[in-house]
Amino acid sequence: MFESIKKNKFVITTFVIVMVIGGLTFNNVRAPAIPKGIQTINGTTFNFADYPSLTHEQIAIMNYFNELVTGQAYNKWDGWGVENYHWALQYITAFVTYVFSTYTEVTSGYRSSLYRDFAYTQIERMNTTIAEYGNDSMEYYEWASIPGFTDYYYPNATNPGPDDVYTGGFRGPANIMWTGHYALMMLLYERNFHLGTMTDEITHYIDDWNLTVTTDRLGHPKDGGLWGTGLITCEPYVCFAQCNSIPIFTTELYDNLYGTSYMESGMWNHGLNFIEANITDEYGLYTNGYFVQRPVGWGPNSDLAPQVIPGQAVDPSTGGPSLSSYATAWALTFLEYTNPDVTIPKYPTFLDLYGRAVSGDVMYMLGSYEHPSSFGDVFGILGTVFTMVLANQRGDYATRDRLFNLLAGMLNKVWSPDGRQMHYDGSPFDILLSSVFSGFSVWSTLPVTVRDLAEPRPAEFWNYPYISAADDDNIWVYQARWDPIKAGFILNIQVDKTANLTFSNFNSTPTAYTLYRFLGELTASGSDYVLTLQPGTYQIVITEGS
Amino acid sequence: MTKSAGGTAIQSSEGIKKRFRVDDLKTAVITVLFGVVGAVLFALIHSIPMPFTMVSLLKFGLYPALAIIAVLGAIRGPLAGFLSGYFGIVLYDLLFFNTVVSMTLPALAYGMLGLVVGLATYNLANGRSLAKLSLLSAVGLVFTACIAVMFGLFIDQHSVLLELGFVMLPLFTVGLPSVVLITPIYARIWQIISMSIQTS
Repeated sequence: MFESIKKNKFVITTFVIVMVIGGLTFNNVRAPAIPKGIQTINGTTFNFADYPSLTHEQIAIMNYFNELVTGQAYNKWDGWGVENYHWALQYITAFVTYVFSTYTEVTSGYRSSLYRDFAYTQIERMNTTIAEYGNDSMEYYEWASIPGFTDYYYPNATNPGPDDVYTGGFRGPANIMWTGHYALMMLLYERNFHLGTMTDEITHYIDDWNLTVTTDRLGHPKDGGLWGTGLITCEPYVCFAQCNSIPIFTTELYDNLYGTSYMESGMWNHGLNFIEANITDEYGLYTNGYFVQRPVGWGPNSDLAPQVIPGQAVDPSTGGPSLSSYATAWALTFLEYTNPDVTIPKYPTFLDLYGRAVSGDVMYMLGSYEHPSSFGDVFGILGTVFTMVLANQRGDYATRDRLFNLLAGMLNKVWSPDGRQMHYDGSPFDILLSSVFSGFSVWSTLPVTVRDLAEPRPAEFWNYPYISAADDDNIWVYQARWDPIKAGFILNIQVDKTANLTFSNFNSTPTAYTLYRFLGELTASGSDYVLTLQPGTYQIVITEGS
Repeated sequence: MTKSAGGTAIQSSEGIKKRFRVDDLKTAVITVLFGVVGAVLFALIHSIPMPFTMVSLLKFGLYPALAIIAVLGAIRGPLAGFLSGYFGIVLYDLLFFNTVVSMTLPALAYGMLGLVVGLATYNLANGRSLAKLSLLSAVGLVFTACIAVMFGLFIDQHSVLLELGFVMLPLFTVGLPSVVLITPIYARIWQIISMSIQTS
């Protein structure tokens, strides 16, 4: 056959050119699947496919974020591409933390300083103050730099009387977009690391929100709270379903973590009903805000103010409610734990109205379904990436992949020279897209969802064996968790250079088994045990005793 | 005069049937079978993630599944080519993403590639003929791109930016080199295989 092909110069020429083009464009190849295996130890079978795992690319992307987060001062943003997006820093910080918290849940038995430092640094970066960092602080970018925000009162915005409540403070009561995220970041830190160092500050915010949504903040109970909506404002004159979904989710997790009953007391009932009745479109999908007060001066969403206030935010080009795919996807994701009977039925309607197919394998979300020919604006892109996360949570992997393909098929993957880090290069479109799509690509493909994070780990979890220290820069941990039923530690790992892993919480000397190599007993080090691994890929089961 | 016109019409009709390889039932069934096999092959090859490189907003790489449509048109005529493209896209969407896009209208654009290529005849052992196949594949792909963009703009109401940046440009920068270069290779391989089968 090859002799015959060789006789045809045209075919030879095309073949050579195909080889050249194929070679020159051989990039962005998917990383191979993580190897899994089955091991039977003392009659107990461990099937690695039964346990959640990370992919090589997910770990590489989080390594990229780790350098951006922990590799510079709390108020520095080198490499993030946020020069034109200072208003978005708090969202970027918060959502990268949610990606990270979901990611670390997959390998819940790997809790070295790498992960703790990342989570802690994110909280510090979210909380940079003017007092310490001046105009390079989150407090300045997010609040004080916006004219008028620090001078607000309710109900008389700028001429307060004795019955007016001050609402211009950075830490509340009218800045739920920051307090909500900040408190949730801290709470997820407590959920994932169980250190107790942030509990008091979280409790302060929960109590403060409770005060805002159930009283007039002048000492009197009031149905619907300060603004009568049962919700908390941003900016500080507009309530958003998506922003309030964060403190609602936080309250759920707080109750679950500390055994309190804020949700049961009905703290958010008025607000949840208000959202459904007043911050939805005709199909019940969430709209982009409800104004409780006329904006004074400039604010990010002040152009959406309706003629009648209080009232629903308006799209000036249609005169109807301001529609938003990202707001809807975000709210549906975070409200699902609290209100599954309400939110889950909205999902198909949401896809029908906002989703647009480019082809069978590619789709995107419109920013607003009232603007069907729009594409490429920041809200459409945000709607697309948030819907990826929602689709993943709904188990609708086909839709998730179609949305993912829109940008994954048009962005280069950039690997660091040492092969430890990767990110998608969004710079041909907008440099910010690099970190945004990289983060959402991980978040939307994890086997753990936002809804899962509302449940704390069981009390006995903290006694399970885990990796408490490791040569993190030398390893790729795909699977790491203690199976309490089979009493074995599952470790699926690639080692680049010789690495030590320190295990805590084993009661007696553990023994490591792999399919191909007998690793023997771990070495005792005080009350801990150390496993030393040479370069290679391992699927290891570690059990107590031999 | 009427009789002559009728005779020409019949001849023309027979010619079309022959060109489309449906001149009798057996031939028609074989043609449809070729189309179906082509569709399955297209769907399978299309499901393999292909490497690519972005240079600014331009995507470069190879899209070998497209050449399947063109080569089916070349070896079994326009109907088989059309069915390969049309059903190939429909099958791929259904099998891998459980979806049907715009009542399968965009799939027609891909069918057009096989249809255009299939309208000519080729001697797959001959280099000049293979060059003609490359050329017509390029023409067919231009039709595909134009029709796909038209459906996108006027039926799906996509933005011009989307259709140009995410549909037309990749079809030209990835699709065009693929059909021009890979189709003759597939065709030559097919010719050699069919010759071997006939010989044995």
